[in-house]
Amino acid sequence: MNSNIWVLTLSGAVTISTTLILASLGAMFTERAGVLNLGVEGVLLSSAIASFIASDSSGSVWLGLAVGALVGALLAGIHAALAVVLRANQIVSGLALVIFGTGLANFLGKPKEGLTVTVRVMPMSFGPLSDIPILGPVLFRQDIITYLAIIVAVGSSYYLFHTRPGLDLRATGDDPATVDAQGLSVASIRIRYTLVGGALMGCGGSWLMMSQSAGWHQAATTSGIGWIALALVVFAGWRPIRLIFGAILFGFCLRLPFTLQAEQITFIPNAFMDMLPYIATLVALIALSRPGRSNILGAPRALGTPFVRDER
Amino acid sequence: MRKPFRIVFEQRSETPKRLSALVPLVSVLAALLAGAIFLLASGYSPGETYSNMIQDGFLSSRGITDTLGLSTVLICTGIAAAFSFQMNLYNIGGEGQLYLGMIGGAWAGLALGPHLPTFVMVPVVLLVGAICGALWILVPAFVRARLGTSEIVTTLLLTYVAASLVNYFIYTSGSFFRAPDVEFPMGRTVSSSAQLSPIGDTRLYPTFFFVVAVAFFLWWVVKKTEFGYRIQVIADSPRAAHYAGISARRTTMSVMLISGALAGMGGATLIVGTFGKLDPGITLLGYGYAGIVIAALARNNFSAIVVSGILFAGLRVGGDKLQITSDTPIHIGVILQGAILLFALGGEAFRRYRIRAVRVQRVGEATA
Repeated sequence: MNSNIWVLTLSGAVTISTTLILASLGAMFTERAGVLNLGVEGVLLSSAIASFIASDSSGSVWLGLAVGALVGALLAGIHAALAVVLRANQIVSGLALVIFGTGLANFLGKPKEGLTVTVRVMPMSFGPLSDIPILGPVLFRQDIITYLAIIVAVGSSYYLFHTRPGLDLRATGDDPATVDAQGLSVASIRIRYTLVGGALMGCGGSWLMMSQSAGWHQAATTSGIGWIALALVVFAGWRPIRLIFGAILFGFCLRLPFTLQAEQITFIPNAFMDMLPYIATLVALIALSRPGRSNILGAPRALGTPFVRDER
Repeated sequence: MRKPFRIVFEQRSETPKRLSALVPLVSVLAALLAGAIFLLASGYSPGETYSNMIQDGFLSSRGITDTLGLSTVLICTGIAAAFSFQMNLYNIGGEGQLYLGMIGGAWAGLALGPHLPTFVMVPVVLLVGAICGALWILVPAFVRARLGTSEIVTTLLLTYVAASLVNYFIYTSGSFFRAPDVEFPMGRTVSSSAQLSPIGDTRLYPTFFFVVAVAFFLWWVVKKTEFGYRIQVIADSPRAAHYAGISARRTTMSVMLISGALAGMGGATLIVGTFGKLDPGITLLGYGYAGIVIAALARNNFSAIVVSGILFAGLRVGGDKLQITSDTPIHIGVILQGAILLFALGGEAFRRYRIRAVRVQRVGEATA
């Protein structure tokens, strides 16, 4: 047993959790407003390739991130138009976004097929702190966007539970009729947070490309992380702080197959190790379910239902 | 200053017949228009691209038989999706159930094929494929019925697991499914008794007619049988169903298992025709995901799925040929799929609501 490999796994779990934190934070904001956006996987892919193209041609990580966020918000805008304005079936609309986003990403990514990013987000160094055994690599050798993602998640928690707009947001997802009676526009709040959510997912996709991914490999670039992010929101009970820890836990599951292979554990075939993160997510979802109402988990009560004011 | 106009959605009590046909048609046209923008932006001529696609997908004799051949599996995944969607259950893991159907069908074809004649073997392959598809959705169906776990995420997660399973069966040396004596990992072809020959000099297999018959049979089940009636009641009002003594749990289980079985049967049709073996390439084709689009475009109507399934098959066949004969990226086909679905969803609003702009009356203004 090589302890170095396990430190690497732990630090890798924190690293990969960045995408999970950003993507599921985006999904959480969307769902807190009462809109279910299942299109995460499509948004991640499109923003990943968009940030690849933008960062490569400009040489700037930040421009890549901004373009990724913009693409995420644009795709979420399609969902908002259909789900909020036209009151379409949100589940089917989200799935359409996955298919459209995947096609768009592959279309845009054709010239970059198999190529690796030239502009990468590099890990930071905190001098002596980074050299502490175990803790150093795990906590103090991450890149700037990982730290930012955690800060954004903590800030989101404050925003959600301790500010007026946060209260309005939670109310929109739980009881839109009350929000409407207060003279606020349910539709505009829902559209706004769907766009913000899409931008956050877009950041997640961009980071995945510029920090993790060795190159563009079509759908294999994200390979289901978007769906894991959606499950993570349920797992965390729609709470940002729990989401950080959940993301690291799921990140650990995503890294574990590589570690077990490095440890040369051969009695489990590689194909079965690849299944691990998906099965772990599945088990977590089932373990959290209770017969009857789903609200005990903290799901917004009006999630997925369009708001229709009684009109004469 | 307030806006002088407000957009009002008025629920239609009855949908005009012409709108029901018009909305999907306009959606397809709008999606083609959106696709044209992508084509123009990347320097291809939309007119030429589309006319080639339509020629190769529908109008040439090779094209139309290829299209009908491909539609066989797409109609299966389409009815699989629709069967669950109609009860507001969202089995979106048809893709994974399709892989399992292919694994099961290949197993039957390899293990039982040498011992049984064709007229027994072909139904057995389809049946084993359907059973494997149903088994793959068993856990999501059970936890959905018992615990209320969202079937959307669970069925989808299992698709990734199913893809790993296919790879395991093909890339493991000495695997039962792998062709022996070949260095390159590929599937072992099932015995000839488990395969049908195509009709004439085409790539269209008789399974197509069977699958169309299944679609119409399901239409009958839903419209005319008590089981279909129960599904409709639960879909319309779970509470009314509860008071009427209809068990939502049991119906949920049945509907999801049947949905998985239909997708699995789709995978098995690929063993009977087209592939004839377990092929890892299946994980790149997205036939299961396409079923979701096909079902949604047909608004879960089983006879309409036959039409939308053939339409989608034609788009893909045309798109594939395009990539072989020119350098137009194949992904335009996938973009079109997504765009058609998005526009169809938007169009749905016009079907359900009368959308009007009305003048907003300000306080103090005369109402007359």
